[in-house]
Amino acid sequence: MSLDHIVSVTIGGLTVGMIYALIALGYTMVYGVLKFINFAHGEVFTIGGYVAAFTLLGLGVNDDMSPLVLAGCVVLALLAAVLVPMAIGFLIERIAYRPLRGRSRIIPLLSAIGVSIVMQQLIILVFGPAPVSMPSLAVGSASFVVFGIRIRVLALVIIAVSSALMLGLTYLVKSTRIGKAMRATSQDMEAAEMMGIDTNKTIAFTFVVGSALAGIGGFLVVMYYGSLKYDAGFLYGLKAFTSAVLGGIGNIPGAVVGAIVLGMTETYGVSLDLGFMAWFVVAGLILGLYVQMVRVPRRRLQHIADDRRTPAYEKSITDVYRLTPYYGFKTLLAERTDALLSVSAAHAVRLMFGNLFLAVVAAVMFANASVRIDTRWQPVIAFVVLMVILMFRPSGILGEAITEKV
Amino acid sequence: MAAMTERISSVLARVPRGVYMALAVVLAAGFPLLNVIGVVETAWLRVGVMSLLFVMLALGLNIVMGETGLLNLGYIAFFAFGAYTTALLSSPKFELRWPFLAVVVVSTLIAMLAGFVIGLPTLRLRGDYLAIVTLAFGEIVRLTIINLQGFTNGPNGITGIYSPLLAGGSEVKTGLAAWLTVDKPIEYYYLVLVAVVVVSILLANLKNSRVGRAWNALREDELAAISSGITASRAKMLSVVLSAGIAGFAGSLYAYYSNVISPESFLFMQSVIVVCMVVLGGMGSIPGVVVGAIVLQALPQVIRQAAGAARSDFEVYRMLIFGVLIVVMVIFRPEGLLPDKLWRRESHEVDPRELEKTRQSLFDLEEGEKDLEV
Amino acid sequence: MTKGARMLHERTRKVLALALAAILAFGLFGTAGCTEDGEGDGGEATEGDVEIIKIGVQTALTGPLPDYGEAAKRGAELALEDFGTFEMDGKTYQVELVVLDDKAEPAESAVVAQTMVDEGVVGVIGSLTTGATLSAIPIYAENRIPQISGSVTGPKANAEGVDTFYRTCWSDAIQGEALAAWALELDAKKVVLMDDNGAYAVGLADVAEAALKAEGVETLRQNCQSGDKDLSAQVANVKEFGPDAIIFTGYHPEAGLMRKQMLEAGLADVIFMGGDGIKSAELIAQTGGVENAEGIYATFGGFPEDQQPGYEAFAAKYEEKYGDAVGPYAQNNYDAFGALIAAIKAAGSTDTEDIIAALRELEYEGVTGTFSFASEADGAVSVGDIVVAGLTPSNVPRYVVEGGEFVAVK
Repeated sequence: MSLDHIVSVTIGGLTVGMIYALIALGYTMVYGVLKFINFAHGEVFTIGGYVAAFTLLGLGVNDDMSPLVLAGCVVLALLAAVLVPMAIGFLIERIAYRPLRGRSRIIPLLSAIGVSIVMQQLIILVFGPAPVSMPSLAVGSASFVVFGIRIRVLALVIIAVSSALMLGLTYLVKSTRIGKAMRATSQDMEAAEMMGIDTNKTIAFTFVVGSALAGIGGFLVVMYYGSLKYDAGFLYGLKAFTSAVLGGIGNIPGAVVGAIVLGMTETYGVSLDLGFMAWFVVAGLILGLYVQMVRVPRRRLQHIADDRRTPAYEKSITDVYRLTPYYGFKTLLAERTDALLSVSAAHAVRLMFGNLFLAVVAAVMFANASVRIDTRWQPVIAFVVLMVILMFRPSGILGEAITEKV
Repeated sequence: MAAMTERISSVLARVPRGVYMALAVVLAAGFPLLNVIGVVETAWLRVGVMSLLFVMLALGLNIVMGETGLLNLGYIAFFAFGAYTTALLSSPKFELRWPFLAVVVVSTLIAMLAGFVIGLPTLRLRGDYLAIVTLAFGEIVRLTIINLQGFTNGPNGITGIYSPLLAGGSEVKTGLAAWLTVDKPIEYYYLVLVAVVVVSILLANLKNSRVGRAWNALREDELAAISSGITASRAKMLSVVLSAGIAGFAGSLYAYYSNVISPESFLFMQSVIVVCMVVLGGMGSIPGVVVGAIVLQALPQVIRQAAGAARSDFEVYRMLIFGVLIVVMVIFRPEGLLPDKLWRRESHEVDPRELEKTRQSLFDLEEGEKDLEV
Repeated sequence: MTKGARMLHERTRKVLALALAAILAFGLFGTAGCTEDGEGDGGEATEGDVEIIKIGVQTALTGPLPDYGEAAKRGAELALEDFGTFEMDGKTYQVELVVLDDKAEPAESAVVAQTMVDEGVVGVIGSLTTGATLSAIPIYAENRIPQISGSVTGPKANAEGVDTFYRTCWSDAIQGEALAAWALELDAKKVVLMDDNGAYAVGLADVAEAALKAEGVETLRQNCQSGDKDLSAQVANVKEFGPDAIIFTGYHPEAGLMRKQMLEAGLADVIFMGGDGIKSAELIAQTGGVENAEGIYATFGGFPEDQQPGYEAFAAKYEEKYGDAVGPYAQNNYDAFGALIAAIKAAGSTDTEDIIAALRELEYEGVTGTFSFASEADGAVSVGDIVVAGLTPSNVPRYVVEGGEFVAVK
């Protein structure tokens, strides 16, 4: 395994991740405001891609056109790919979601699944079941070589666009008037209404912006891969959702971080040797130990200083805890152990097993250093990541956007 | 007009529910006779068997979705567990031919185990996350089936599943053993029908038991339920395991019936279709779910025959209608076609009819004066 | 709730109820229509001294490949006109077709096969796809009904030693060996085999990989999923392996993407080969342009039309009847029907057991050429595979993309 290979795999993973990020931004924004999984978001993305492709095909773009006309066509396609999804996003919210506001979580989710199915079939009816394919343009496939590695210009464009949109969205939510309204709606819809915020308008705006982002994603995917199939939205949507959860749903920078992690995992998982990936596990283990042994105790110390010992705390000190490696380690270092002891016995055992598990995994991976996971397992990776993150840390890497309620 | 429909429905409501159930069972049991006397083609009998299998699936999903209020989007995975267990225990793949009862019981237990294993870490998640986790679980199961080629034959599926022998475990096809072999559509029909009736009686009893009430309480208000002494985790786990078991049972019968199973039968869309059946029929309502499943499984076949078999876009329209149906039902009639009493009360904050009745009895108003502002 | 809103609610509910009633009424009409249509006589019927026998056509008129399904049905219909009435032992036999749609789905296919058995057919033409056929084979085998497919090329279809399955198209095994032989002729020392995790692609890749390994070629196996967009992990793996050739055994959408992404990664000098799954004009669009597709090699599971002795006459008949160009595998299905009738005549009986025995001995001169069926397994050849005189892995038709279309390699 050469450095060359690792770098090109990394670039591939980064690009895939950034495409997920484009879709995940819309997902996370809608979730942040409405606490609602917009299952149909993936289909909005597909429609964006189809509209862009058909606009370009309709305009008959080719490389013989003058650059100015070509640029005009591309801009036109981008515009179509943004406007149509915006309209669709607005309609979906108005028809299928608004009447269900305030109902239990699974009811709007059901409606969203229904919408997603309807849109998929509509795409087939309007555009046909065959995948749409784009003529390849010199602009689209342009690439350059750095240190012997070929990089596509479009990949850089995707990375730049995703980052810019992330910054723009953060600004929108944090610093504008409508952003303030969005945050207020997210925190407490009734109170926001009493303060004179038109929550219906705010939510519609959120949907329109989210759909526009999905449309841009669709446009870039069609430009990058040159083809799109009517059911692509399901998988892209799920992966975007996984990214959003991974980064902490409702958290805008989190969506991008989660998307990159997911894209990297998917690509690294099947194209790097286990021996190399084992280092990631080791890094995770070290990070975990650091958090468990240094960061958390420090916080707890502070807490105890504030609160004094409580009976519950006394009760939580059990002999089981003394069996854990931390205990010995900490005693060896002659540090204060009482802070750590506030960890409950069950929690300590869980932590210990977690670390042991990681260590064993790393050992197994090192033992089979030159083995690679078969590429046929690639589609499973995203689902496994999704399950693991939801089961063990549903708040994601960067933490969910928490709306403070007093 | 309105008064008449009102009167009819009130008369219908007074008929005991047992009568309807008995009527339904008699109708279902009589259907194959139409085939025997040659009125209906055998193909319709097959539609009947598939509909009954889906009734069973929908009944199983109804336990988690309707009774306990947990959305499961990977329900078809449990069906796959049952089907693949049966296929492995009763096919030339590993040259096994276990007796029918043993296979069905093992298949059900394996599906229940799968439900337990997946329920253990996920049941504490909140509703929408749980739905997505189950979706991921369903897809992982399907992709793993495709990838474990040595074990499941991958995309080729397992073929040549033996017909069930109701007695004995041998290959003999003579005398009593032959008579007890199920291999004609009509025999499968009655086998599955018996299973459906048994399962629905079981579920109807469960619904009115302590467990059923605990499930409903959890669905309505988890916090209140817990504080009134219900162990939420145990009750939820029970509902997940039970529904998984029913799906495994149905999967086992399906594998026997179809002779062959392949991963394509366990797509995410299949899970959605079962969800759709429960929503259409009425979450939490056993007769509703039965009707929902039959309508959604049999009606497309009927329409397909009526529209001519060669319409290649039929599938597109079918799914389109399913999608629209979910949205429309959820918005306008979330309690389903044949609603459960409790759900009706919950899904509209105030039932206008209920309100009207109260008002009428209070003021004894004339017909035209009913529309008072509340 | 205000009065207006409630009235609105009532109205929508009424509309909904009406709509549902309409759907149900439509459904009832549908059933009524159906039961009237169905003539459930079944079995063999005699009219004077003409005996009616039933032959099933199991194909996929709906599902992913409706054009293939339609062509297969038409092939059988044309054959019905030519061979459908014949004399045997002084009696006239008249064939009646039972056409059923399996949607190319394995589960549906088992249902269709059962229905065929219920209908009492003496033989079946079909099914269309490998996956669907796999699930029908055990049912036909158990009920001893001969089955001849004109389009199933998957080598695993009859690997389990049944003697009721026959085919008039070439097995993928031939193409797999041909691809391996071709790669060896091109002097490839390292070869990547890539499939799309489907039954057809995995079967083809397995055969080719085994043949290459036997010659001491270093191989690497990669997969993708049908519908994948991003293949960067696979491309990186291929690049690291540094092969002389890649054999992509899936279908054209993924093949096009793979080719495109390989070119973008600078792997232009790796020979790109595939089976008949990629030999489609669509491939050129999927690679993103004529110049990207240039130089892709593909084999095909059948002689080119101009080398098929009866093709011209067949095509003329086909176009006259349907006003369409000949669809894929139509002539193979025509031959399948012809061979079945020939076997019935040779057996001198309509007993399926006799027909199966006759099929094994049969040598048939059809539209696609003269062929017989293998009566015993030999290497990659299974019982029932077509045996074409003089065919070797190196004279399997080869094509290369030149100037935006596939042209035959001499």
